[in-house]
Amino acid sequence: MTVEKSLLAVFADLDPAADAIEHLRTMGVHDDCMNVISGVPVTEAMLGRPNQRTNVPRLALGGAILGFFAGAFLAFVSPSMYEIQVGSQAFVAGPPSVVVLFELTMLGMLLSTFLGVFLDSYFPSYRPMKYVTEVSDGKIAILVECPHADEKKLTEALKKLGAESVQPTEAQHL
Amino acid sequence: MTDNKRHFENPDVSHAGPHHKSEEHFREQHLMLDPLPRGQMNEMVMDSMHTTSWKFWVVFVTLSAIVAWGLFYSWGKMILEGLGIAGVNRPSYWGIFLVNTVFWIGISHAGTFISAILRVFKAEFRRPFTRAAELMTTFGLVQAGFSIFMHMGRVWLAYWLMPYPNERQLWPNFHSPLSWDLLAITTYLLSSTMYLFLPLIPDLAMARDKSTGWRKTLYKILALGFRGTEGEWTHLRNAMNIFAFAIIPVMFSVHTIVSWDFAAATRPGWSSTIFGPYFVVGALHSGMGAVIMVLAVVRGTMKNMKYFIRPEHFEAIGKLMLIISMTWAYFFFNDYMVQWYGGDKWTKQLLHYHEAGPLGWMWFAMLVVNVAIPWAVLWNKKWRSTPWIVFIVGLLINVGMWFERYIIIPISLSINRMPFTWRLYQPGIEIPLGIGTLAFFILLYMAASRLIPLIPVWEVQEGQMAHSLKKFGRETVVTVSELE
Repeated sequence: MTVEKSLLAVFADLDPAADAIEHLRTMGVHDDCMNVISGVPVTEAMLGRPNQRTNVPRLALGGAILGFFAGAFLAFVSPSMYEIQVGSQAFVAGPPSVVVLFELTMLGMLLSTFLGVFLDSYFPSYRPMKYVTEVSDGKIAILVECPHADEKKLTEALKKLGAESVQPTEAQHL
Repeated sequence: MTDNKRHFENPDVSHAGPHHKSEEHFREQHLMLDPLPRGQMNEMVMDSMHTTSWKFWVVFVTLSAIVAWGLFYSWGKMILEGLGIAGVNRPSYWGIFLVNTVFWIGISHAGTFISAILRVFKAEFRRPFTRAAELMTTFGLVQAGFSIFMHMGRVWLAYWLMPYPNERQLWPNFHSPLSWDLLAITTYLLSSTMYLFLPLIPDLAMARDKSTGWRKTLYKILALGFRGTEGEWTHLRNAMNIFAFAIIPVMFSVHTIVSWDFAAATRPGWSSTIFGPYFVVGALHSGMGAVIMVLAVVRGTMKNMKYFIRPEHFEAIGKLMLIISMTWAYFFFNDYMVQWYGGDKWTKQLLHYHEAGPLGWMWFAMLVVNVAIPWAVLWNKKWRSTPWIVFIVGLLINVGMWFERYIIIPISLSINRMPFTWRLYQPGIEIPLGIGTLAFFILLYMAASRLIPLIPVWEVQEGQMAHSLKKFGRETVVTVSELE
């Protein structure tokens, strides 16, 4: 069984970080074993990384559908729970129902979008995590999971590629 | 990245001719072309949160006293003695409480307009003040909620509006405009609060990394464990895009539905098909005026804010205000013209009462401060770039828009088809309660300005990464790259 080790390399700029990722790949480090931590959103294309999967749009759609049905319940079903027929007026009027359907569909969609970020990102998470606070100051950190035997080789390579610091890292409270 | 310097394609811009703008000129003019290291920007924002002068505390304590008197004491008194101590009575059953409700919902439109619409259209000038505007949305809606609860009188029965059946399985009637209000305002309040929070998470994480003591604990809890991994940014970016698009129709729906509270009634002055867009534009008019006031105060009173909020931002918002003022004038005239031309006896009586009644000065003042003054001032680039000038214009617009709501609600209710009921509305306890909500809004904002980063630093840095100068012939121009 190989012992896994985590290295955290901190770069001052985007270009050397992107070069380092490419070089790590040529050294046999799989994309799944790397993670990039940054203080601004850096796209996958900029770093040459595979696209990140997100469930947020799907969850938003699901929430919209649930919201629509909740709206349909309020607009169409709730009046029939205790019927009050008013002469010359529709029992369930069309245009006002559109308002109810619209508001609850949007509420469902936006709530589920918000919750989607929590679910996909595992928020809130107050467990110890691998992190360096320099990221807040604009640095880019590459977190590499590697077999213990490769640690020295990877550290040297990352330093050569412009990393300001490369250190074995342990999870800690943020 | 730390250095965050722009790569000018032609650094030799200063030798390009007499009409040429130097790199220094661009830096002074545009925040996006004047980058500082990210760490320094973080420090500036944290420093602005931590620095409070004695003047801040004097204002804070004074406002707290006003809130205690205006909001809590007066409201408690009204709860104990009943709605009778308010001035609402036949025929004006809707008074300042609903004027304030419409006013505060209007204020809340600015945050979404700036943060969502300008984000969708990638208007780069929005970056440093999106949060300042979003905060207005949330805090404005809180005041709108208070005003509705005051209007209810028996506020402890507010839960009757909730969608659940009573003992006889009778549900609230969701086909009534007042129930739409509940749905629309609740949806908007929740959505805008979530939309405020999502882009705040990375800045809360920054604040967590830069703080100690109770602040660190607070930011640690609020930042939810955000580190800035690729996955976290992807989820956040997707969610913010969905919000930016979806919250726009919600924003439009809120004030349209509020307008239907009036337009759905067959009263003189209210029954109008144009009230929806007219109210939305009015909301944007007062909201933008409020945003520019807040920015002028934040820039003038908070440390380091002159770097982030510059004349270019007042200039851009000033242009928007001018366009919105023109649009408001168009809708106002459209509404007036059709009612006047219709020739209905009671409507003509009401229009005459607006202009020549005891509060006719309010009608004329509304037109002067909502149309004449913005048009006279905001066409001039220098004037609309000057914070104190646009602060005054924004203040006047807000006064004018409050007048507009006062004219539409209690004054218009004074004249109806039963002349024996005509009576001019005289507000009572509504006045301290209204002052209380205003003081509470400012108080919440002041507290928030010391607790959460008012400047979205990561968004500013992202914008600065995307901007550069490019030379076309002898002219140097600002260019923006699409980073997303």
